[in-house]
Amino acid sequence: MLLDAVDLSFAYHRGARVLDGVSLSVPRRSVVGLIGPNGSGKTTLVRVLNGTLTPSRGRVLLDNTPVTAMSRRDLARRIAVVPQETHVTFDFTALEIVLMGRYPHLGAFALEGPDDASIARKALAATGTAALEARQFATLSGGEKQRVVIASALAQSSDILLLDEPTTALDIGFQFEIASLLSALNRERGTTMVVSTHDLNFAAMLCTELVLLKAGRVLAAGATKDVLTAANIRRLYDVDADVTFHPRAGHLTVVPLARTD
Amino acid sequence: MAAVPREIVRVRGPKRAALLLILLLPAAVGAQAHRIISIIPSTTEMLFAMGAGDRVIAVGTYDRYPPEALKLPRVGALVDPNVEQILQMRPDLVVVYGTQTELKRRLERANIPYYSYAHQGLADIFSTIRSLGMRAGVASAGDALASRLERELAGILARVANRPRPKTLLVFGREPGSLRNINASGGTGFLHDMLETAGGSDVLADIHRQSVNMTTEMVLARMPEVIIEMAYTAESINKADLDAWNRLSAVPAVKNHRVVLLIGEEFVVPGPRVATATARMAAALHPEVFK
Amino acid sequence: MHGRTDVRRRLVATLAGFGALAVLVCLLAPLVGSTSIHLSRVFDRSIPFADNIDAQVFFIARLPRVFAAAIVGAGLALSGVVFQALLRNPLAAPDTLGVSAGATLGAMLALTAHADFTLLGISVVPLTSFAGAVGALVIVFALSLARRRGTSSTVLLLGGIAIAALLNAAGRFIQYLSDVTDTFRTVQWLMGSLDVGSYAPILASLVPFGLACIGFVTLPRVLDLISLGEEAAEARGVDVVRTERLALVSASLSTGAAVSLGGPVLFVGLIVPHIVRLIVGADHRLVLPASALFGASFLIVCDLIARTIVAPVEMPVGIITAIIGGPFFLWLLFRGK
Repeated sequence: MLLDAVDLSFAYHRGARVLDGVSLSVPRRSVVGLIGPNGSGKTTLVRVLNGTLTPSRGRVLLDNTPVTAMSRRDLARRIAVVPQETHVTFDFTALEIVLMGRYPHLGAFALEGPDDASIARKALAATGTAALEARQFATLSGGEKQRVVIASALAQSSDILLLDEPTTALDIGFQFEIASLLSALNRERGTTMVVSTHDLNFAAMLCTELVLLKAGRVLAAGATKDVLTAANIRRLYDVDADVTFHPRAGHLTVVPLARTD
Repeated sequence: MAAVPREIVRVRGPKRAALLLILLLPAAVGAQAHRIISIIPSTTEMLFAMGAGDRVIAVGTYDRYPPEALKLPRVGALVDPNVEQILQMRPDLVVVYGTQTELKRRLERANIPYYSYAHQGLADIFSTIRSLGMRAGVASAGDALASRLERELAGILARVANRPRPKTLLVFGREPGSLRNINASGGTGFLHDMLETAGGSDVLADIHRQSVNMTTEMVLARMPEVIIEMAYTAESINKADLDAWNRLSAVPAVKNHRVVLLIGEEFVVPGPRVATATARMAAALHPEVFK
Repeated sequence: MHGRTDVRRRLVATLAGFGALAVLVCLLAPLVGSTSIHLSRVFDRSIPFADNIDAQVFFIARLPRVFAAAIVGAGLALSGVVFQALLRNPLAAPDTLGVSAGATLGAMLALTAHADFTLLGISVVPLTSFAGAVGALVIVFALSLARRRGTSSTVLLLGGIAIAALLNAAGRFIQYLSDVTDTFRTVQWLMGSLDVGSYAPILASLVPFGLACIGFVTLPRVLDLISLGEEAAEARGVDVVRTERLALVSASLSTGAAVSLGGPVLFVGLIVPHIVRLIVGADHRLVLPASALFGASFLIVCDLIARTIVAPVEMPVGIITAIIGGPFFLWLLFRGK
């Protein structure tokens, strides 16, 4: 196992527990989806996994080393995060945004060299944004922005990519684009990924394994075809849904039919 | 008394008496004011110096002279006149600043006569004393005071008439301990007039402003032979602070140790004490004559 | 295209270009003024300094002004850059978080209390003004400690604005209570004056300014990352809490040094970073040093204009920076992106 979460519990300062005894394992080269309703703790879990938040109980292990034992920069070299939205205050170009992903390797004082430039350009190419290199990030479309942010995460040359609801702010066209991109990255580069998402069809398309979270607890975890069932969806969302394999799409699809509460 | 219009002559009988009464009443009332409020330090001093001090019922916040004025109630000053309190005291004459339009409007509405004061040069002090004296009903005392001051100043002028006039910089404020934001008297205003009367040549005479913000470069450029610093109270400046000028050692005033400190409120109040102030200034400029 | 990634080359070009500008301005500024002086007399050793007017104009009236303008301009520009990145807000300025208001309050208290003491050649107003700045810094820093996980920049921004408003109100209140003469003096101080006339306050201000610069040296790259968001920076390996505190303290020390030396000169800290970014791009490794150099040059030139344009009298330097800064700021807002 590359990444393991063991019995994580977390509460924001004096708040109710957001995570309660969560354990999961992320095998190397897999794409693990975190599914759950609003407030289930998905984003908090992503933040605990990448070491930004410290759990009140439990540990996160990266290759059997606790993440708390690693420095922030060491951790950033192993785990990269793609947030839901990125707001850029200043007029950075796409290439400059991607080059910021090299920080864990360079630190505060080293300047980027030709190797770093080449890694950055390869990342842009991998996300199909090579032509946007000199464009101002703020002028890009939603899909282009998200792809550049993914490229920035790729430039970190990490083993694991954590994505926090990467398609929530995007339309169906961009959603498909990102899903295809991530699939391709996983196939071609072998990047291990953990993706938290609302979108069940997106998860079904992309993820090899799923972890279902409800109210801070793991409801079910395992291979997608085993876990993504009508029964689990009812337990998770109080919704009756039809889960069928779509031959042309090549993956399970979920169609909601009625609420059960 | 106001001139009587010719039309009055043609009207006869009771109508004429009534018209005369209406015309002359304001003058009659104004000719004797017994409840005077003055919110300006110089006019307060003038009133007391003219012997009308017993008619003054209230003064301004910053009126500190003569000592009798300190015992009177205070009703605000230029920025914050207490209009309600002024009206409540039922004065028959209020001395206000020319720029206090709101206060003047309120007094007009309440039918209370006011005297509008503006301070400019030295000559205005005498005309103000005279006209205020008339309004207050002590015209002859006012005239006597003004004449006495004019004579005293003419006397000073005569004593320095044939002396060489040193180029003088008149400073009335600066940032404590430094030479930043030096406030000096420019080519107009009563300070300038006092300086010229006292036998000094104003180094800023070509700048037609009452107050000039000076920098070290300007002081070096003008090369004053005497620097007079004025402070209102002993607390606002101390003798040691004059050492700040020493760094401009090329300035003749510094080189020849002619940086003088004059302390006293008579330098900021253009009133009856202006003659004393001018005499002190003249003594600083021409010690040989006034010793 | 390849050139745009060559940070090293662009850094050298930026430092060389802005450095040359700064050197040129520093050399020329003391030669220009409302009084004509002869350089030959200035450096003529045979005339004793105590009698040499030209030398005194050069070394006492003008040169300290140039140095003061350099420190105030660089200090305000640097803190402007850092606050804009820290608060993720291009409209942030050195006076946003209240340090400038604290310095102003300190100066006003000295002016209205008629305090008059000198310490090591520095007069009372710069001393109390710096104390006020440090006081404000302590309050804002305490605010940043109150949130357990460092600061959310919104909390810091709003809290800082509240503190600035409070301190400004206190300053206004003091102005209101004082008599007309003292109010006039405080108004003069507020318009800024670089006519320090001696080197002691300049050397003194180099202490907090130098400390601030030690902090600034480590910040450029992490400011790039922090401007993307706290989470984004953290995920790339930045210690966000430590960085934010260091940035806050450095920028506040720099502002405090500048305002206590020359008064609160408007707009420099707001517009210099923007002008620099228009020329060199957004990378803070270029923007930070360039802003220091350009801020110094800009204020030296503004002061030069202030002391020559209405000769024989002078204008306060704050008015010149406002005349230039105001329209520029409007242009910035309306140019559309």
